[in-house]
Amino acid sequence: MKSLNIEAIPDSPYYPEVSFDVETGICVLRGESYMEEAYKFYMPLLDWLKQYAVEEKHTVTLEIKLTYFNTNSSRLLLDMFDILKKAEDHGTKVKIKWYYEADDPDIQDEVEDFEIETGLKFEMVPMED
Amino acid sequence: MEHPSYDTKNIISYHGPINIDLVSFISNYLRQHIRANSSVVGRIYKVLIELIQNVSYYSAEQYSNVRSFGSGIGYFRVYEAPEHYIITTGNKILSEHNTILRQNSEEINRLGEEELRELKRKTRTQANIRDIGAHIGLIQTGLLTGNQIELKFDPIDELYSYFTISAKVNKEI
Repeated sequence: MKSLNIEAIPDSPYYPEVSFDVETGICVLRGESYMEEAYKFYMPLLDWLKQYAVEEKHTVTLEIKLTYFNTNSSRLLLDMFDILKKAEDHGTKVKIKWYYEADDPDIQDEVEDFEIETGLKFEMVPMED
Repeated sequence: MEHPSYDTKNIISYHGPINIDLVSFISNYLRQHIRANSSVVGRIYKVLIELIQNVSYYSAEQYSNVRSFGSGIGYFRVYEAPEHYIITTGNKILSEHNTILRQNSEEINRLGEEELRELKRKTRTQANIRDIGAHIGLIQTGLLTGNQIELKFDPIDELYSYFTISAKVNKEI
């Protein structure tokens, strides 16, 4: 199994940067996410997490550093969290850290909604400027 | 809903095909040019993207010569009123969708914040990952603005209507 890396594209800021590291288990999503047909972008990420965390039972730390995601992307993020919940239920150690901007008045509710939907606990971490 | 008048200021308006690159350009343009605190600008950004992506995906009039998905033709406008920023979008829809859109918006306008969050979670969980639908974007707009969403349906012909939606983002959060 290989690491999954997708670099940020300045002309297409609606795709986040992806860095899923097979050695450390640290998986980072960074930037913004509001692309068309979000499932096409997220399917490889979901498949990678299924294999890494559910089938191979590696410890995962998912770091969400998204400054914006639309509702379409939130549906795919939910799938990602559901996979990690399944992994956790099967004994895999899972940690999710959500990095947030201090001036975002809505992010606490967004994350709380994901916690309610998945049964996972998210660690909130303020983003540094 | 405030309509353009002497005490409103047009920030941007557009009519034509809306694709993802335009969504990205316009939303970032607004983020740089609206003089408000960053929390307010952030909310305008979020609401605008949800609403204009609904036009892009679901307008009955698509600029299909260029793209097969996400090139809906429609209208949007952002303007400033004394107490709010107002985001309006418009696009052609099949009139048979008027009833469900009206019912959905009436439900969103009737619910309190916690009930809306519950509706959003339920709608998201049940949504198809390939096409999440327009409903959740309207729920999100209701949640982000905390204000009533206003809808208007103007008949075009026997089959189609022109659908307009307006949302207000408060200047004070």
